[in-house]
Amino acid sequence: MPALELTNVRKTYTSGDAEIVALDHATLSVAEDEIVALVGPSGSGKTTLLSISGGLLTPTEGEVVVGGRDISGYSAQQLTEFRRSSVGFVFQSVNLVPFLTARENLVVVNDFGRRRGRKEARARAEKLLDELGLQRRMDNLPGQLSGGERQRVAIGRALMNEPDLVLIDEPTSALDTKLGEQVMELIVSEVKGRSTAAVIVTHDARMAHYADRTVTITDGVLAA
Amino acid sequence: MLAGLEMRRAKLRFGLLAGAVGLLVFLILFQQALFGSLLSSFTGALEHQSGTVLVYSAEARKNLAGSVILPPQQAAVTAVDGIGAAAPLGEATLTVEAGGEEANASVFGFAPGGPGEPTRLVAGRLPEGTGEAVASREDRDAGFDLGDTVTSVKGEVPLKIVGLTERSRYSVSPTLWVTFDGYTALRRAANPDAKAVLPSVMALTPAEGVSPAQLATRINDQVDGVEALTRSEAVAQSPGVAATTTSFQLILGLALVVVALVIGFFFLIITVQKLPSLVLLRAVGASTGYLVRAILVQIAAVVVGGLVIGAVLTYAGIAAASTGLPISVDVATSVALVAAVIVLALIGSLFTLVRVARLDPADVVSRQSLGGLS
Repeated sequence: MPALELTNVRKTYTSGDAEIVALDHATLSVAEDEIVALVGPSGSGKTTLLSISGGLLTPTEGEVVVGGRDISGYSAQQLTEFRRSSVGFVFQSVNLVPFLTARENLVVVNDFGRRRGRKEARARAEKLLDELGLQRRMDNLPGQLSGGERQRVAIGRALMNEPDLVLIDEPTSALDTKLGEQVMELIVSEVKGRSTAAVIVTHDARMAHYADRTVTITDGVLAA
Repeated sequence: MLAGLEMRRAKLRFGLLAGAVGLLVFLILFQQALFGSLLSSFTGALEHQSGTVLVYSAEARKNLAGSVILPPQQAAVTAVDGIGAAAPLGEATLTVEAGGEEANASVFGFAPGGPGEPTRLVAGRLPEGTGEAVASREDRDAGFDLGDTVTSVKGEVPLKIVGLTERSRYSVSPTLWVTFDGYTALRRAANPDAKAVLPSVMALTPAEGVSPAQLATRINDQVDGVEALTRSEAVAQSPGVAATTTSFQLILGLALVVVALVIGFFFLIITVQKLPSLVLLRAVGASTGYLVRAILVQIAAVVVGGLVIGAVLTYAGIAAASTGLPISVDVATSVALVAAVIVLALIGSLFTLVRVARLDPADVVSRQSLGGLS
């Protein structure tokens, strides 16, 4: 069963009388343990595709199936539950809650749905942070962490609830090349180590080689 | 979890808000206590006597000091159908010597066992003979304590204090309750030429099945030259009380509005400041209810903290200020005001809660990539 299956997904916005097509009949399948890089210029529809895949936006047309769940017709409440339980996100810049420590930024995700007990959630958060090389930074607030460390905490948070699919938006845009490569290596190692699927949006073609497959998007149209 | 952690990391910010709310709560509770004490010092004697209907002479315009009920009026009033009990109630301001100093005291003369008796006896007993009196406890340090003897200056009539009342003063003066015979003796001693000592008002209780308001209406309809008021009307319509009540209520109302605005603006400001975090939390699976609950917990913590601070300050303020006007807190009114503060805090925070409820999780990407179409 594919981790993500988009079939003829279309997303349009209206601006006055004009219709803006952000995504045009996109069809994409991502296997269970596959990492797909979504590459395209600015304004091509990458983030829209990522948002629809993660239940942040609903498609205007088409079908979105994640981990076997067809979320195309989900209500806002169902989408919240879906995001909590089935996907992990790593966003571009605003990734962490500034008044929570690194550990708390992971544990809070469990708090939304109480998937685990407090102690168990804390132990999992610590294990993830340890794997991400942050064992000494668990009690630090985001403001006390470097850009790379913050991204690593965000990766940990994305994996906290053992999602079917991890969606990563421009993970290296705020990092220098060396740090960007380290973060990408970490993402690949963590995602592959868990046999989880991931879609990584990037405009930086140099980062695409970390993925199993690269998909290009231009003006809302996907090209394999 | 979220609410508690944020407050722990921003102790100063939330502490200052709780302090500000506490000062406002103090302002409200202290003013209310001051107002209640002032009112009970003005009219407590009327409020805490057993007659539920008081009949004034019409020309007195609800002013006890200017009211005299003539014998024909007494007869006409007692003839009205629906009276359970009726008794004369006299009031006069006399100069007395108490604790070695002269003071003006309000003296009430009531018929023992009849309407008009003081109802807030807190120590001792009611007077039985002409040389006995019950005094207001608030004045016990001024020579009006149990066992003390006060003497009316004109006529030199000694009165032994055999009981104490609370919240039963009149005209912000030490107040003595004596039997109507004792009152007559005091008035005669002060003015030996007086032909008769007449009651200021008639104190009544209605017969079974008749309400005080119904009885007052019947008397006003049937007896000329008098004005019957229920006890609460007599209190509220005493000279100066309405104006004082309106002024205090206006101040209290403004303070309550300020509470709502302070809490409302504070939470709106800190919510706007942390919108990116709230949107992020929505995006990664926090429900609207989770975030709203977190804010409600913070509002509750601030309000409870403010109420505790306000209550402590109020008690400290009362302890410090009780040397002049005796001030005490009316528990029922304070509880109502505390409830009003809680409700207004929630109303003040509604805009913030609505703002949070309307967060769009998709903003997490549009905020970061200018429009979300990249």
